[in-house]
Amino acid sequence: MIGQMGNCFPWKNKRKSLSLLMLGLDNAGKTTAVKCVQGDTLDVAPTVGFSEANAKFGDYDLRIMDVGGGRSIRGVWKHYLAEAHGIIFVVDASDKDRTEEGKEALANVLEHQFVAGKPILLLANKQDVSGAMNEADICDALDLQTVVNRNRCPCKVELCAAIKSKPKKIDPSLQQGLGWLVRNISSNFESITSRMEEDMRKQDEERKKEAEERAERVRIKRE
Amino acid sequence: MGLLKLLRKLKSESNKELRILLLGLDNAGKTTILKKLASEDINHITPTQGFNIKSVQSQGFKLNVWDIGGQRRIRPYWRNYFENTDVLIYVVDSTDKKRLEETGVELEELVTDEKLSGVPLLVFANKQDLLQAAPASDIADGLSLHTLSGRTYQIQACSALKGEGIQDGLEWVMKTVSKKKK
Ligand SMILES: Nc1nc2c(ncn2[C@@H]2O[C@H](COP(=O)(O)OP(=O)(O)OP(=O)(O)O)[C@@H](O)[C@H]2O)c(=O)[nH]1
Ligand SMILES: Nc1nc2c(ncn2[C@@H]2O[C@H](COP(=O)(O)OP(=O)(O)OP(=O)(O)O)[C@@H](O)[C@H]2O)c(=O)[nH]1
Ligand SMILES: [Mg+2]
Ligand SMILES: [Mg+2]
Repeated sequence: MIGQMGNCFPWKNKRKSLSLLMLGLDNAGKTTAVKCVQGDTLDVAPTVGFSEANAKFGDYDLRIMDVGGGRSIRGVWKHYLAEAHGIIFVVDASDKDRTEEGKEALANVLEHQFVAGKPILLLANKQDVSGAMNEADICDALDLQTVVNRNRCPCKVELCAAIKSKPKKIDPSLQQGLGWLVRNISSNFESITSRMEEDMRKQDEERKKEAEERAERVRIKRE
Repeated sequence: MGLLKLLRKLKSESNKELRILLLGLDNAGKTTILKKLASEDINHITPTQGFNIKSVQSQGFKLNVWDIGGQRRIRPYWRNYFENTDVLIYVVDSTDKKRLEETGVELEELVTDEKLSGVPLLVFANKQDLLQAAPASDIADGLSLHTLSGRTYQIQACSALKGEGIQDGLEWVMKTVSKKKK
């Protein structure tokens, strides 16, 4: 009977769908983190493209987008920014040699017109490796405060080890971070969503124009 | 074995058959890749006028791979093969920079076709053994991949001639479909 009661209040059952986008340099652990959220333990290979996963998180249906972070594919990140409610930026905290590259990549993302103002969860991954950078090291190395303030992005840092979690069990700090991100988006849901619709409309128009120009160039070349 | 069980077994086995479509411009290396997948001799390959089909076993799946000719006059017939495709493999000649945009436009037509909507895409950036081959990053730019938005895809550099990268591409295919077919 309880189930039937539920049906009398359909708005109570209305689950919200959130789109999250995983970004970060290659080898940071993005795909591993997605598998972790899904409770999956499939072995990973470098992503040179795009894939997405669906997961349930409390009352929310999450669509988690995962793109490759290698230099050869980083150029496609911009195509997925408009349709994200929030960004999960993953850093390999055990790799001190690439913080400069990571800092640049992060700044480029946050400064993008489709991202500025959206919430960012920063995962300082691979904490199981001894000597991994802690929260203060990471904030310092990425100059996080400056870039986050400049672009008015709410931000939270979580230290995690995506690989260490047992099957079917999500890393507690990853869980916590995700909870923060989802709550943050949820409290601004209407405004973020309507902004996304507007951004996606703009993007569509530009893409249509580009496609027409491209088709024309190819037509001319063929003749 | 009871009838129900038998039927279920038959059904699950038929589920393990995959239809894979190999497309791309002429001279991209589709037939060479097909023969390589089937461990056949790759000498004496001539341009494909119609299509070739081969069945390959991989990780308990039976892959039925369709290789369709890529010459311009054949391309309008590609659409006849779209139905029930599980994975699309698109082959690009990485040395053919002049036609990179053309191959991008053809790919765009494929991915906007309703019959291929949601079908995972593997792009083979072929002929990496040649010095003038463009790196995967140029291929990604040239193909205007944003038309793929929302689609699962992977770019795999390879050399069909040397047999390099083909297996990695196949691994990705198997991982991607087994996730979907679960
Ligand atoms: N020690 C340790 N290794 C990890 C952790 N998370 C991921 N890795 C490993 O780091 C490597 C890269 O992980 P991926 O998940 O493929 O990284 P990615 O960010 O998706 O990389 P790209 O797809 O190339 O952008 C793999 O070998 C993982 O097993 C972690 O928390 N600790
Ligand atoms: N150097 C080099 N040559 C290759 C490679 N793969 C294919 N080729 C050559 O490229 C030419 C075209 O290969 P095919 O396999 O016939 O190309 P196709 O895509 O089937 O072409 P169509 O049937 O006309 O659509 C042949 O001369 C192959 O030997 C490669 O990895 N490296
Ligand atoms: Mg990855
Ligand atoms: Mg051929």
